[in-house]
Amino acid sequence: MRRAVAPLLALTVALVLADSAVVTLALPDILRHLDTTVGEVAWVLIAFNLVLALVAVPTAVVFARAQPRVVSAVGIAVFAGSSAACALAGTIEVLIAARCLQAVGGALALVGCLELLVELYGERRGVAVWVTAGVVGTAAGPVAGGLLTEAFSWQAIFVVQVPCAVLAVPAALAVAARPALPPDRHRPAVRPNLTLALLSAALTAALFLLVLLLVDGWRRSPATAALTVSVVPLAALGSRPLARLLRTPPEVEVAVGCFLIAGGLVGLAIPPSASLVWTIAPQALVGLGLGLTVDRLSAQTMEMRLPRVHHAGWTIGARHLGVVLGLAILTPVFTADLQDAQAPAQEAIASLVLDAPLRPEGKIAVAQALGRELAEQRGQVPDLHRAFETADIAPDERAAAAQLERDLDAQLERAATRAFRDSFLIGAGLALVALLTVVASLVVPGGRRVTR
Amino acid sequence: MTSRFGLVGMPAVAVVLVCGVLGIQLAHGGGRFEPLHPADPCVARTVTSQAEGIDALTERLVLLGLDGAACRLGISREAFTLELAQPGPRTDEEVDALRAGLLDAVRRMEDDGTLPPISALVDEALDNSDLNGFLKAAIKALPDSVIDAALKTDDVLTRAIDGLDLRSILENLDDQQDLDRQMNAAVEQAVKDALVDRLKGLLP
Repeated sequence: MRRAVAPLLALTVALVLADSAVVTLALPDILRHLDTTVGEVAWVLIAFNLVLALVAVPTAVVFARAQPRVVSAVGIAVFAGSSAACALAGTIEVLIAARCLQAVGGALALVGCLELLVELYGERRGVAVWVTAGVVGTAAGPVAGGLLTEAFSWQAIFVVQVPCAVLAVPAALAVAARPALPPDRHRPAVRPNLTLALLSAALTAALFLLVLLLVDGWRRSPATAALTVSVVPLAALGSRPLARLLRTPPEVEVAVGCFLIAGGLVGLAIPPSASLVWTIAPQALVGLGLGLTVDRLSAQTMEMRLPRVHHAGWTIGARHLGVVLGLAILTPVFTADLQDAQAPAQEAIASLVLDAPLRPEGKIAVAQALGRELAEQRGQVPDLHRAFETADIAPDERAAAAQLERDLDAQLERAATRAFRDSFLIGAGLALVALLTVVASLVVPGGRRVTR
Repeated sequence: MTSRFGLVGMPAVAVVLVCGVLGIQLAHGGGRFEPLHPADPCVARTVTSQAEGIDALTERLVLLGLDGAACRLGISREAFTLELAQPGPRTDEEVDALRAGLLDAVRRMEDDGTLPPISALVDEALDNSDLNGFLKAAIKALPDSVIDAALKTDDVLTRAIDGLDLRSILENLDDQQDLDRQMNAAVEQAVKDALVDRLKGLLP
């Protein structure tokens, strides 16, 4: 059991931070299953991040003097219980409430686990394990969520968290850590936290928007989308050896990471087609950037700052406030852009149907079926295949109709891609603002010197 | 101390990677992956049909007519089509534009020689009509030259378009039977009027 304690605590940290984006790929399923609206279902994602951002610092301050193992055990138990409640939720209101409770439990667990990992590994390694587990969880969350949704259901995302968390409760209680009681002598690290918040907002664009584009825009399955976005965590793993090879100073590493994330987001904004291949290189840039920045910035916000849990609270708060900021900025933009994309998409569809190599009665049948499908789309990208299946098309025109369906699908993919462009570019802009905060700290007198 | 390579190495690699990725994407059409832009309806386009006979003529006439109407209204052919697909009353401007567009289409097809002679359509028209069998047989027995001398396609179409209650048709596009009935009635009346005018022209 003792050998499993530290991995279980690290797994708990990864699970809590994975929950930040784990439901992204499940949102369409939740929307259908709970018969809710796009605006409401977005709160399944927003609520968790918002509550975690708001309670992280107060939790760290209030529980700094409590027994870390008790704080951790209670937090993990609340997290497990609320995860089970999420899985059992029958309405969107219950699900959102359970997600809020999950975030409160998660905040307690994160704060407690930091102290326990430091107790087990020592200051430097303990913080590093805590930070790394968080980065891995954040990056892998959408992938895991997508695979579970595809293989089982959206509820499976929450069900699998319960046994992991339940096992972590005795693991937390097994660590005899005393509460650290240092004087509160260090101010929060404003600049790294600001950079972290801006980058989190930008990374929200990368992870949240990309999976939406893949599933809702390009109509790929959640599993395909999950495998596609796995490029980000894989590339993140490759960033550390690259940084070591090039012997890069930490500040330059962070600046380069911001630049890579911005470049990757621009790449995602301008794919030449809806082929998944075109997302790989931009995602690799984002992943490399993620690996170079988030753990380094998280460490900077806590390094040599006491009390440690307070600064951990600020880091968690900054990161998740950034996610909420990203969602707050990007959601209305891409929602409006999707709305605006409908007219050009419908005109493109009308153009192709009018000029299709079908006889007039075939064109009319297709147009009527498409009209019915478009009327039922409820603000989502319509399923044209259903329209073509129901259209009364002569057998000798089936091949031409199939070609028309492919052409129309391509138009929808083009419209969806165009609709996401501005949001990805805004994400890139956020990453560039994050870069500016780093550059400013390098050039402004009193800023950090670029040394190893 | 940090080496110069440490300071510039990774930024250089990052610039190369980002420029490389974006360059390749732009070279393959990145940024231009957008929905098809509708063509300018005021620029003449080639219109074809997979149908034959009257259906082909009607389809080409409607497609060219939509172009002409959209051009007059200052919108795309597709936007006008989608507008017509919505239920509800039509404005005078829309009805007038469509009528003018259809008349333009007849003139254009006549000018470019794609309007078939009336004799090429008469058998199909008779098969679809409710005239009595003797009359149908008598008309079918007439030589093509006589039919083409008596009736001109552009004249019949122009009269039919002028006689159509386009507002009523546009407001009941879903009612295929009513559409057919109105079209047949307009064409029949146009043929009668054209023949009467032709006979009047023969009289001293």
